[in-house]
Amino acid sequence: MVVPLLYYAREFARLEWITKFFTVRTAPLVTPPHFRDFPEPTGVKCRHALFCMMACPAPGAIEVVKVEGGWEPRIHKGHCIRCGLCVEACPNGVLRSGRVLEAIHEDRSALSFSFRIDVNLETCMGCGNCAVACPVNKTIDAQMSYGGKAGTDQLLLMVSEGKSRVLHVEKCTGCKTCEQHCPNEAIRVARLLEAVQQPQGEDPCSS
Amino acid sequence: MKRTVDVSIPLGPVHPCFKEPARVKCETRGEYVISAEVELGYMKKGIERIMRGRPWQEVMFLAERVCGICSVIHNMVFIEALEEISGITVPERAALLRVAVNELDRMQSHLLANFSYCYTIEHETLAMYLLDVRERVLDQLERITGARVTCAYIVPGGVRFDLRGEDAARLRAGLAGIEEEVARYTGMFEGGPLIATRSRGIGILSREAAIESYVVGPVARASGMPEIDRRLEHPTYRKLGFSPVSRPEGDNHARVMVRFQEVMASIGIIRACLDRLPPGPVRGGGIPGAGEIAYHGEAPRGELSYYLKTDEAGRVVDISIQTPSIMNIEAACHYLIRGVTSLADVTSTFVSVDPCIACTER
Repeated sequence: MVVPLLYYAREFARLEWITKFFTVRTAPLVTPPHFRDFPEPTGVKCRHALFCMMACPAPGAIEVVKVEGGWEPRIHKGHCIRCGLCVEACPNGVLRSGRVLEAIHEDRSALSFSFRIDVNLETCMGCGNCAVACPVNKTIDAQMSYGGKAGTDQLLLMVSEGKSRVLHVEKCTGCKTCEQHCPNEAIRVARLLEAVQQPQGEDPCSS
Repeated sequence: MKRTVDVSIPLGPVHPCFKEPARVKCETRGEYVISAEVELGYMKKGIERIMRGRPWQEVMFLAERVCGICSVIHNMVFIEALEEISGITVPERAALLRVAVNELDRMQSHLLANFSYCYTIEHETLAMYLLDVRERVLDQLERITGARVTCAYIVPGGVRFDLRGEDAARLRAGLAGIEEEVARYTGMFEGGPLIATRSRGIGILSREAAIESYVVGPVARASGMPEIDRRLEHPTYRKLGFSPVSRPEGDNHARVMVRFQEVMASIGIIRACLDRLPPGPVRGGGIPGAGEIAYHGEAPRGELSYYLKTDEAGRVVDISIQTPSIMNIEAACHYLIRGVTSLADVTSTFVSVDPCIACTER
């Protein structure tokens, strides 16, 4: 019996315990500055690069919508998982979430994108829905949206010899419109993400 | 032959001692437990099915959400499997930062496991002390990665955020405080006479039984099997001169003490990482490609295996995850709980193997 009593006496005689007993407080309910919260707009004008939508791992969490006088990213909080990839992916710094993600500008680290289009030649029927729907094709050759007759070989996608062919994959923006319009699931777009960092001393704006 | 069974007592799926739903059915003669069986399947997610056909940047976040407590190791094993497939090398600084964050995650997982053991043996004071320390560890994790649990810290070719100089200093200061507290609570647990009555010599798993039942992680290390630790094969841990802790007793007390010792060992590993941290980039780049691999890592609860098959665009074609808890849960029912002399010790013995039902059922 004596040993536990001594033990408790020693436990309570500590200065830390006594100060805590008299000055006890609930931890303040504040969000720390390094917390990675839902992305918020920084006020920089969105230039419709759409990299946030390309990087987002949660389907339907972010979309860039047209508002009066430009574009604006809109976060759907029920879908957002607060991973912060959209903040990292944006080349213009439209979004921010927490101090940890702001440090990527100092580190000169970024996400670089490239896109890859795979056409399954066995299931492709050559209907041309992909080439007509492709928004890049429309900007290159406006005729594509009406008749679907290609007047130039600068297009991203084109039907030739009865199959869909990818001509300039470097023009792809990864929007997956072709994938959604394919009746046969023959075309698939992959967004290849690469986490890169510029070495110290090199100007990130030069590349 | 008909067995003499007084009564078959089900514990769970809703039970105040269990963090997650599982049912343990005990056949008892008086208070003596003759045999026990576990029933799982109350929270199946089917996450491997969701992962198939998705690109790696989506699966990375899904892999983190397999387990809510040990999320960093799932991220780490998945990404390292991808790197192994596509031959991506990681910068030295990023490899050390990965290990530091993984060890912080292991610390908070072990502290939570010990909290729930202390809570189960009704030592709520110590349990709440341990939860308080766990909060401090989570604060350190949040300062580095920006989130407490689903950190999303590791990407192919490196890590996402660099460790600032002032954050490293704060991490060191925080670790010193945590070390002091954990040492005090370890002393309280080791020397507490009431705790010893509830834990020493209960749920003994001998080394032979441990080999027979294929237990992994701290449960195996508490039965005197240090060689079970998968960290011994990890290149970064080998560089740091890692050596696992183990204890020979194999009872509930030893399992909890092994976790306490591993928390202290983790603090040492993080300090070694911070000491060796070279300047340089934290991202090496690299695009995941096609391949097939089975990759293993050491989660806080034991060996974690990923079987992964990807196509040229980095999409996951096939994936299968084996989490450590299933071995420990089955061993707990068929080796530890069987032979427990009092029904009151069944829950504490079950909790002492740190059953994580969310991982087990995925």
